[in-house]
Amino acid sequence: MALAELTAADLAVARNARRQQWTTVLIALSVAALALLTVYSTLKGTTSYSLADLGTALHQAAFGGELARDDQRVANVLLHLRLPRVLLAIFSGALLSLAGAAMQGLLRNPLVSPYTLGLSPAAGFGAALAILLSQSAGTAAGPYISLSAIFFSLLCSLVVLGLASTKSMNITVLILLGTALTSIFTALTAGLQYIANDEAIAAIARWTFGSVNEARWSHVVVLLVTLVVIAPYFMLRAGAVNSLAFAGDDTAKSLGVNVGVLRVSLIFLAVTGSSLVVSFIGVVGFVGLVGPHIARLIVGSDHRYLFPFSMVTGGFLLLLADTLGRLVLPPRVIPVGIVVALVGAPLFIYLILRKRNAL
Amino acid sequence: MSLEIRNIDLHYRKRQVLHQISFHLEPGEFCALLGPNGSGKSTLTKALLGLAPVSGGSVLFEGVDLLSLSRVERAKRIAYVPQSSPVPFDLRVYDAVLLGRSPYAGVRYAPADHQATLRSLEKLGLLELSDRYVNELSGGQLQRVQIARAFAQGTRILLLDEPTSALDLRYQVETMRLVREFTREGGIALMAVHDLNHAARYCNRSVMISDGHLVADGAPGEVFTSQTLSRVFDFPIDVSHGDGLVTVRPAESDHEIHVPSEWPAHRAAPRGQPNRFVEARA
Repeated sequence: MALAELTAADLAVARNARRQQWTTVLIALSVAALALLTVYSTLKGTTSYSLADLGTALHQAAFGGELARDDQRVANVLLHLRLPRVLLAIFSGALLSLAGAAMQGLLRNPLVSPYTLGLSPAAGFGAALAILLSQSAGTAAGPYISLSAIFFSLLCSLVVLGLASTKSMNITVLILLGTALTSIFTALTAGLQYIANDEAIAAIARWTFGSVNEARWSHVVVLLVTLVVIAPYFMLRAGAVNSLAFAGDDTAKSLGVNVGVLRVSLIFLAVTGSSLVVSFIGVVGFVGLVGPHIARLIVGSDHRYLFPFSMVTGGFLLLLADTLGRLVLPPRVIPVGIVVALVGAPLFIYLILRKRNAL
Repeated sequence: MSLEIRNIDLHYRKRQVLHQISFHLEPGEFCALLGPNGSGKSTLTKALLGLAPVSGGSVLFEGVDLLSLSRVERAKRIAYVPQSSPVPFDLRVYDAVLLGRSPYAGVRYAPADHQATLRSLEKLGLLELSDRYVNELSGGQLQRVQIARAFAQGTRILLLDEPTSALDLRYQVETMRLVREFTREGGIALMAVHDLNHAARYCNRSVMISDGHLVADGAPGEVFTSQTLSRVFDFPIDVSHGDGLVTVRPAESDHEIHVPSEWPAHRAAPRGQPNRFVEARA
């Protein structure tokens, strides 16, 4: 009898250990897949280059030196067009997906994303306003678009979070406020488009597609620094997020979690990161929603694994979408926001329908 | 070693919801927290857990005021079992029970956490289910998982908020027995419950709350009288004692019961009264 009980417990331990090993293997494999796609995507394009070209370019970037004129041209394309674009796609996807995974867990709702708080229409309004104002002032819009977009998306998030905190961060209240703010900013943007001329309307539309065409090293560096700063904090709090996501507010509190602080701090970081991404590449939907779901399918819902793996799936998804967008109709480049919505929406519908339980 | 609840006052938006609630529970006591809907049972449970801020009073255990402890320290002393509710994400039974170790774990769980989880799974007969997803379980099994999580938390005190309300009879009885087992091993359990017969059968202590006041305190065999229950629930209730069991049922018209307008004499029975269940076992 004692032996039988021991065996059952041993089996449970063994199964648990095997699952953890398998998860680690899966994460390693997917990181490898992302690395392969990164190299492929850097080399392939309207003009394709070889690994040797990339090696030469990287060597020059690292150690300097003179190159032949043709080699220099290739190196410039790889270093200043392809690589920043590829890395911007990866880091943007990773940040949006991490933010999505956190918000879904914190709000105990698998259908929310960073955009639930109305962040993207707010950013869209900010961008449209910057485009219109700089046009009438006759200045270049570029940097103002990002600044204005991030200002309005943060403002919107703060308003929603501030109002929701007066109702003790009730989830339904939060989502309804996000919906209301979405309406307001959508209407404001429509109002701006109504008074704008054709040129400005085209610029606003281009921005709302979402694209990494304008990628710069400065964008890449900002997002990388953001990830390096906030991702470890998310990892540190993953256990507390587990308690909250799986057991609910009261039980999480009875397990020692400061639910209010956890929710506000992580949501604040998530929306700040997402606002940065949106201000650089425009509105790219679905990554923050689908990225975490794909990750959950593969490694399960334990946030200690889900957080890092969501970054991998989000980065992979956005890079894949951008690579497809560049390769499908060359020399045209389909904006990544369009491709990702076309790929992401059907995937999302599939995920909803395959759930055993109603969402 | 007893749990002393002293003069708990609680206000919700200027309205006083709990008035000077005081009682203490000894190890081995399985106490039913009784009262009609809206009487303050859930509020008291939340107050004791530190989830609802009290405006006065203290909860002493092993010489410390639980309410003045940090959340994590409090979580090492008092565990909570809510009504079972669906989990929005896929979660395996093993991991659900492991959550009970979060007050002790840093970023990673230690071997001791896994051992406590296994002991708790074994105790509740959940080892075979440990790889299943909680959303695949029946309501009764899910409630077992919640109790297993609370046991894994390794506390001496267990607070339960109507854990049986959504369960069928078999699982209701099973839940009551599990908690009784916990108290027989020296634990203290306080359970908000609606079924007076279950309370009479499985609990060796009961406290009754009405309008935020403590109105009766003692073993069910002593305080479950037709007068007290009728007054608390504002509804004629018949109580019969026979074969060492207390049976409670709503009074029918042929059996006139007087709902007293004043509280019966044994209101808030003093501590130290003989406790039938404990004596019967000893």
